[in-house]
Amino acid sequence: MWHRREFLKAALAGLGSLGLPPLGWAQSEPRGAWLWSAVDDAQGHQLIGYQPATGSHFRVSVPERCHSGCRRPGHSQIALFARRPGRSIHVLDGIEQRETARIEAGPDHHFYGHGAYSPDGRHLYATANRIEDGAGVIRVFAADDGYTLEGDIDLAGTGPHELRLMPDGQTLMVGLGGIRTHPDYGRVKLNLDDMAPALLRVDRTSGEILERHAPSHHQLSCRHLDVAPDGGVLAGYQFQGPAWERHPLLAYRDPRGEFTELVLPDDLTDELRHYIASVAMAPDAARALITAPRGHRVLLVDRDEKRLITSHHLPDAAGALPDGRGGFWVSSGHGALYSVPGDGSPPRRIDRLDLSWDNHLS
Amino acid sequence: MHQLTPIAFPGRRGRAGLLALMMAGGAPAAMADASSTARGLWHEAIGEGYAELERDTRRLAEQAADYCHAPSPEGRASLESLWRDAYQAWQAVRFVNFGPIEQQSRGWQLQFWPDRKNLVGQKASIWLKADTPPNRQSIADDSVAIQGFPALEYLLFDDRMNSPDALAAPQACGLFSAITRHLETTTHQLHDDWQAFGDHYRETDTYTQATLEAGLQALETMETKRLAAPLGLSGKPANAYLAEAWRSRQSVLLIGASLAGLEQAYLPGLRPLLHQADQEGLYDDVAARLHQAQAGINEIVGDDIEGGIAHALEDPAAFSTLQGLYIDVSQLNWMGREIASALGIARGFNATDGD
Repeated sequence: MWHRREFLKAALAGLGSLGLPPLGWAQSEPRGAWLWSAVDDAQGHQLIGYQPATGSHFRVSVPERCHSGCRRPGHSQIALFARRPGRSIHVLDGIEQRETARIEAGPDHHFYGHGAYSPDGRHLYATANRIEDGAGVIRVFAADDGYTLEGDIDLAGTGPHELRLMPDGQTLMVGLGGIRTHPDYGRVKLNLDDMAPALLRVDRTSGEILERHAPSHHQLSCRHLDVAPDGGVLAGYQFQGPAWERHPLLAYRDPRGEFTELVLPDDLTDELRHYIASVAMAPDAARALITAPRGHRVLLVDRDEKRLITSHHLPDAAGALPDGRGGFWVSSGHGALYSVPGDGSPPRRIDRLDLSWDNHLS
Repeated sequence: MHQLTPIAFPGRRGRAGLLALMMAGGAPAAMADASSTARGLWHEAIGEGYAELERDTRRLAEQAADYCHAPSPEGRASLESLWRDAYQAWQAVRFVNFGPIEQQSRGWQLQFWPDRKNLVGQKASIWLKADTPPNRQSIADDSVAIQGFPALEYLLFDDRMNSPDALAAPQACGLFSAITRHLETTTHQLHDDWQAFGDHYRETDTYTQATLEAGLQALETMETKRLAAPLGLSGKPANAYLAEAWRSRQSVLLIGASLAGLEQAYLPGLRPLLHQADQEGLYDDVAARLHQAQAGINEIVGDDIEGGIAHALEDPAAFSTLQGLYIDVSQLNWMGREIASALGIARGFNATDGD
């Protein structure tokens, strides 16, 4: 395992990809694009590729429940991550429609279910737990060298969850959930009294933490986020304290790096039951969509005006992804897939499969 | 902090929309009333269950202190009996998987299970070898594996503790007593917090569906994890160590307590909802089946077949009896799906176990 200093040397020796064009918004592909997700069905745990334009899809069996995924720029690969405390990343080839590589977390590590590629597709970054001391790290894998482990970025915190590449191609935004878990204890949350969550911006080659924004309460687990082309970041919280308390569930880091929390109407906050799942920022409009499965709702937000446009009832709302036309695809744990327009009009169900979509679409 | 102001947040209309899905066919106002009534009844009934858990746990802690002060065979028997009472009181409210039970992972503190790596045994062994007994705070600061009823079960029933005086030894008794005091604190806070949660619970519509789903989830867990897996009825070999309370052979007794808890604390809120959906017949069927399953368990316990799944795996007659229980619970689980269908809900995949 490399430590940060060695990692920095390696990065300076040429592993970095400074100067490359900004991240391509793979979601805004033309018709024919595919959506990717982890699902569970009667056969067990699966990964699915789904084409909204045609409804065609295929599934690949995996041994554990998976969570989120990310597309490899310039390739037909998609990496899908085992859910906490899983230890595998499954790399699918979208053209061959099969699993072509499997990455293991390595000794004494497990993944948290999220990751991102570098703009050139050469490096894969995955949030992970160093089990021995509960340290939150980003494991870095060389995608063009058989996904060998290159090193770790230490995040000086616990429980990193979703990770996204910023438009500068160089820094990563990380939702540091602050929750400690240990594989021996499965999904038990072990430190709910002394959590220290944060929204982080990290340099992916030096490992330097450039920004650390703390939520307004230490039990607001900053878990999921998305990044807009201008560098604005919207993050969703999951509150781990008393159910009857009311706290903000969304935070916005503007393109200048200013951090604010967004307050929803009280009755809506209550109905969401402290739980935000997916955040999706439209690349082509000032719109963001947020899913809240415990409230069975999706929220549509104007991110420039920091204003709730509307919210819709959507049972077990799960994954969300911009559709490239100012709106969003949204999946449900109950099997349906919806199109949610960016103009505030109601969700339209476009398909229903006999399966449960996990919390994220990629 | 920015204030998000809605343009067109549908407010009550949206909430009624959820209820419309829950109870297809009824009038919105009546649905909202039934939902609100259900939450009121649930809050009261679950609150009574938490109060009983607190009371039983306090008695257990008091008896533990007495026993450690002056050990006796009668005191030890009383300890076992009070441990069983308190563990059963927990089973009765164990279906509630939202609200104050989520704070500080309290559900896991009360019962760490499944325990595939025998962490309960490992943790207990470490404390038994320590130089001084722990106090309540050292248990609070340690792992969930040592904080709950399974750790007490280890100290009462594990083979390593089977000599008559084993529990009376200062280290073991101190550990037992510290765990009971931690449990007493936890269940006291749980009960207090449930009362503090009351207004929020009664006023928040999404808790109707959350409570409905909690009961259905409990039935599914009972069928698949508490019975089918250890009995080998789920396609994999039988394994008695997958059962709860295998050390004390109280697995079946605990399932009976869970069924009784559903009867006492789940049915009250279910009734107005199924009534509003014109499904009184389904309610009656569920209530009757719950009753029948409990009667079956009383027979098992009364016949002294031992509530242990390990024993049933070696004795065809006992196995056949437990198969009967499994069928009762399976039918209840199937009825749970009928309830979901009648009320227009589907069990949440991410809503109940997202990430």
